[in-house]
Amino acid sequence: MRNNLNRFRAFWRHFPAAGAINLALIILCILLIWELISSTIDNPSRYLPSPILVALSSVDMIYKGLLPSYFGDTLIRLITGSSIGLALGIPFGLIIGINRTSADIFYPVMNFFQSVSGIAIFPIVVIWWGNSDTTVLVVILYTSFFPIAFTVLSGVREVPMQYIHAARTMGATRFQVIRDVLLPGSMPHIATGSRLSIGFAWRAVIAGEMLAGREGLGWMIFTAQDADKTSEVILGMVMIGVSWIVLDHYLLRPLEADTIERWGLVQR
Amino acid sequence: MPAKLVVTDLTHHYPDEYTGESVHALEKINLEVNEGELVTVVGPSGCGKSTLLNILAGLLPYREGNASMDGVKIQGPSSERGVVFQEQAILPWRSVAKNIGHGLELKGVPRGEREKRVSEFIKLVGLVGFEDKFPHELSGGMKQRCAVARTLCADPAVMLMDEPFAAVDAQTRITLQEELNRIAIATKKTILFITHSVDEAAFLGDRCFVFTARPGRLREIVNIDIPREKRIWADMNNDPRFIEARDKIMRLVREEVLVSNA
Repeated sequence: MRNNLNRFRAFWRHFPAAGAINLALIILCILLIWELISSTIDNPSRYLPSPILVALSSVDMIYKGLLPSYFGDTLIRLITGSSIGLALGIPFGLIIGINRTSADIFYPVMNFFQSVSGIAIFPIVVIWWGNSDTTVLVVILYTSFFPIAFTVLSGVREVPMQYIHAARTMGATRFQVIRDVLLPGSMPHIATGSRLSIGFAWRAVIAGEMLAGREGLGWMIFTAQDADKTSEVILGMVMIGVSWIVLDHYLLRPLEADTIERWGLVQR
Repeated sequence: MPAKLVVTDLTHHYPDEYTGESVHALEKINLEVNEGELVTVVGPSGCGKSTLLNILAGLLPYREGNASMDGVKIQGPSSERGVVFQEQAILPWRSVAKNIGHGLELKGVPRGEREKRVSEFIKLVGLVGFEDKFPHELSGGMKQRCAVARTLCADPAVMLMDEPFAAVDAQTRITLQEELNRIAIATKKTILFITHSVDEAAFLGDRCFVFTARPGRLREIVNIDIPREKRIWADMNNDPRFIEARDKIMRLVREEVLVSNA
């Protein structure tokens, strides 16, 4: 009996599209439980509308063109904000990782601001830029800057001295050491840090839109709650989660597989 | 033969990384390495062998005494003095071929010529077929072959080797030693080879510098008059010149180890 089960498992693992079917089964289970709860409570359209109702509202939102437009707004904000955050954070982490003096100066400052979360700086940013796109963008940028800067900093410091010495004894200049040794040597940290940063930025964009936006998924959730449209609230939440999984799976994972896994820098 | 490397009255202290106490690593070292010569350095652990190598490589600044190459004081790293490190110094993110060609790349040698030179050295160290592998896919012996080829390919005048075969298994080590001997014949490089293995020191060296326990001083120079072409492990154990040199080095090192343990 047990033996048969194991054989079935082995067979299933090698079955084409087994992963997709597994995922579909899990989603189906969740939807069933959701439907079950929704059908047993009072006033489900206010507290927990059924999956079908949420799906219908998405059809409605797509038909009106609102969902694609909100989704696009949010995505553009995320991409703009976190790319600037990464573009600033990576070199900054590199510089303070390489140079002791700049680390002594900037580290305490960074540590201070790291603890003041994106939400905590929101009020002051609103005072400066009002309820505008700039406000949301600044908060995303701020949020994504610290995780990447800190991880790159520790990444640079963990590059084995031997690698640097080897390059220098082959005549490498300071710039060449950075380009050929320190930068690729911190790739594992850059990958993890980027993922953290974009993950944080994704949360910040939603929060930002709720507080200061006029469009976007966050704004959609917020206004739907005001208008008592719970199905749109849930739709927004599902969109947020699903987009992240897609982004992670199709953009960030392949990036890791192509670099640090190829180099044998991660074991599992 | 003119002296390639000259060290005079070199004394070195460095602060211990944790306690901050001053460690007296080298005391008035005087030595010369001639052009085209392979010199081995042995001594008890902590006798300052690696300190000497790092100073010669230009990686470690020094204040007392002098170290020079071709009469010019050593004041920083240079591609004229290539180093083969103990282990794990080839870059994991570069393939074997890219690691070996790195030195030429840093010098701005054009791709075509680079690839030609790289394939030469891949042949020399027996890594044909592994050009596109990454270091984590290689065995310990192959990694060290790659490291040796990388240093050679940058064409330094002097090769400094810091216990390069210490981390590989005994069988591979013997092969690597014979290969290095072959490379020394083929390239006529000036080589300073640090080791803690007495057999290795006697097998590879034209001369062997035996260091004292810390602070490291040059205790004795043992000459090993065996032609390079005759240096094959299968014959060594019957070669009286090898046995005599090895036993002498062994006796000197043992004495120093006993001093350092006392």
